[in-house]
Amino acid sequence: MKFDGTALYAALIHELKNNLGLLSMTLDSIPMQAEPQHDRPVNDARLLCQSVIDRLQQALLIFKANNQQLQPTIDAYSPHDLVREIMERTVALSRDRLHIEAELAADVPAIWFFDRDLIEMALVNAIQNSLAYARSSIRIEAGMVEGCLALSVRDDSEGYPEHILTSVATNTPYRATGTGLGLQFARLIVQTHENRGRFGELRLFNDSGAVFSLLLP
Amino acid sequence: MSLPSAFIKNAPASAPLNGTFIDYASLRALVVDDYPGMRNALRLTLSNFGVVKVQLAANASEALFHVKNKEFDFILCDYNLGDGRDGQQLLEELRHGNLISLETVFMMVTAESYYEKVAATAELAPDDYMIKPFSAEILRNRLDGILLRKRAFREVYRHFLAGDLEAALVACDEMMRNYPKYAVDGLRFKGELLVTLGRFDEAEALYKQVIAMRAIPWARLGLARSLHLQKKEEPAEEELRDVLEHAPSMVAAYDLLADVCLAKKDGAAAQAALEKGVAISGKTVRRQQKLGEVAYTNGDLDAARTAFTNTLEKGRHSIFVTPADLGNLCRVQVEQGDLKAVADTLKKNKSSLQGSPEGKLVMAVSQSMMHNETGNLQEAVKALDEAASLRSAGTRCDPQMMLDLAGVCMANGREGEADGIVAEVARNAHDSESLLAKARKIYDQAGRSDAGAAVLASATADVRKLNNEGVVLAQKGDFKTAVEKLLTACNEAPYNPRIIMNAVWVILKYIDQVGMDEKMITIARNHLAEAERQAPGHSRISGLRLHLKEVETRFGMSRT
Repeated sequence: MKFDGTALYAALIHELKNNLGLLSMTLDSIPMQAEPQHDRPVNDARLLCQSVIDRLQQALLIFKANNQQLQPTIDAYSPHDLVREIMERTVALSRDRLHIEAELAADVPAIWFFDRDLIEMALVNAIQNSLAYARSSIRIEAGMVEGCLALSVRDDSEGYPEHILTSVATNTPYRATGTGLGLQFARLIVQTHENRGRFGELRLFNDSGAVFSLLLP
Repeated sequence: MSLPSAFIKNAPASAPLNGTFIDYASLRALVVDDYPGMRNALRLTLSNFGVVKVQLAANASEALFHVKNKEFDFILCDYNLGDGRDGQQLLEELRHGNLISLETVFMMVTAESYYEKVAATAELAPDDYMIKPFSAEILRNRLDGILLRKRAFREVYRHFLAGDLEAALVACDEMMRNYPKYAVDGLRFKGELLVTLGRFDEAEALYKQVIAMRAIPWARLGLARSLHLQKKEEPAEEELRDVLEHAPSMVAAYDLLADVCLAKKDGAAAQAALEKGVAISGKTVRRQQKLGEVAYTNGDLDAARTAFTNTLEKGRHSIFVTPADLGNLCRVQVEQGDLKAVADTLKKNKSSLQGSPEGKLVMAVSQSMMHNETGNLQEAVKALDEAASLRSAGTRCDPQMMLDLAGVCMANGREGEADGIVAEVARNAHDSESLLAKARKIYDQAGRSDAGAAVLASATADVRKLNNEGVVLAQKGDFKTAVEKLLTACNEAPYNPRIIMNAVWVILKYIDQVGMDEKMITIARNHLAEAERQAPGHSRISGLRLHLKEVETRFGMSRT
């Protein structure tokens, strides 16, 4: 049998991800005691664990994309349900540190077509970013832009640095660590969404904070 | 868990008629996972949002035991269950055995990568799948969504379960008007209803309507299926090949493609399609069985042997494996001249074969073939005697095997017995070209071609004549005599699905004409059940079932 180093790495990451999943469940089972000295480190551990899991999940997806296996499983979903789910997850992750709200434009249809798991991963990743940088609030939005469903995460942080905005706008590679890695990943995901020749897009801009927007055709 | 402190602007008002409150305290859950740590973690996750009635199971057998003894509203099952059946096989058994209702939520837990690509496009998909690891809030959110959707479908399911598919269609339209967000789910269910009702042209139009919105794989597969069922094989094949070009891992498309190729009498292409499907997902027993049969018909004994061996190995825990599968493997091994392998196969499976009369018959037939080949005539005769005594006690096995038996009888000078067996097979399959051809071959090899022709002709003549007369009489409106003819035909050929279905049909027409006849409706009911046993999933059965239901309802005999 051929020795396939990358496949082994992938299997290893897989295993790590599952072990961390168990760790995360164990952390969830520690009861809160309304004592900051106890509760805060538990909460921090919980958040950190979740973000490591998310990163590992991304690593696996990038591995799949490299092997041309990143085929989205497109089906019909309700954007309303998606926004509600993302909002609830954000509320759970922020643990009352920030004000979270969501808004659906009136013209968002009852159904849109996308890969729910991939899009959720990309959005949760953006939310992890905003949780780290936002001053006081995060806002999740759904609207229609150029005939596409636009799913956005908006915060009141300092905004994205110039070099990231440029590279995403021009679709060129950039030094990818931390925030940058997550964004590359989001772009990868959204670009697998195609409808009648139109491809999905990642758009970033600053508007009294950072705005992360996925356009789904 | 607290509810979110935030709110959504412009969220639609809650759905009409039914609220969105879900009483998790009364939800009966079953958690299936082979790893004890995970089982307990999942129980804890569920308790996070108030699910306390939780039953745990370590494997598929335990899960089946619980499901047979108790009703569940929610099954959370890991795809990978260690040795034995996996989560997908469990789901298939639950659905095929009607062990869970449409209202029961089945969620598959997966470690992603492998499963999603296979299962997301499998014909029997779970209600949803959760990628490990997940938090309580994600699980609750998904579960909320599915339970609310099932609530919206409640009327549709009610009519469906009562067998009133027309009413289910109407309820589907109504549901889609009330809940636009379930419009695509509604169309998907409607498509399946239309196919079951035999309204393939309408199903075709429906799938085209979905594809116009978005070419999602299940809609394209549905379109190909409705084309195939209308015998439009060329466009069906074109659609499938294009689907597979874009999504080469979509196993259900290979299965359908094989059916299309068989309809086009292209056995080699059918085998190639099934081989690709097996390479992606070899665990599905029915795919292996079909590959074995197609390869055997193509004369590719090596491929047939591999597939039948896999059927037995992968299907060790499956309800879809029968003694006939062992018989198939033995037949291939005999034809390959590998008699040691036949002996091994029989030895290895002795205990399971001894468990049923059909298994014993398969064992006797295989032994007779083996000993006949080795020239051990004494043992061959012993096996033939055993088979004869099982047959006289009313035991039967699949017609291929019966013909194998006839072949050995003939080789051992038991012509009369052989003729009797062939006649029985022929009566019960008077319109199956492949079986009749195999029977002819046996006579040709024994140098009794003329005798064979006579046996086949006389065996099928009576049945064919009675059947044709019955159908003609029915077409002329003389249902009473038609019923007599076809019931006589049924006595001659009690396992012939076509004859039985015709009999049911004329009985129902007879009742339509003259009014209720309790004795006749009972006969129709029993015959329809037999037809389903003989030809499961035959396209005529659902129509007949509807007709029967309609007659019962009209005369106030509805049993729902």
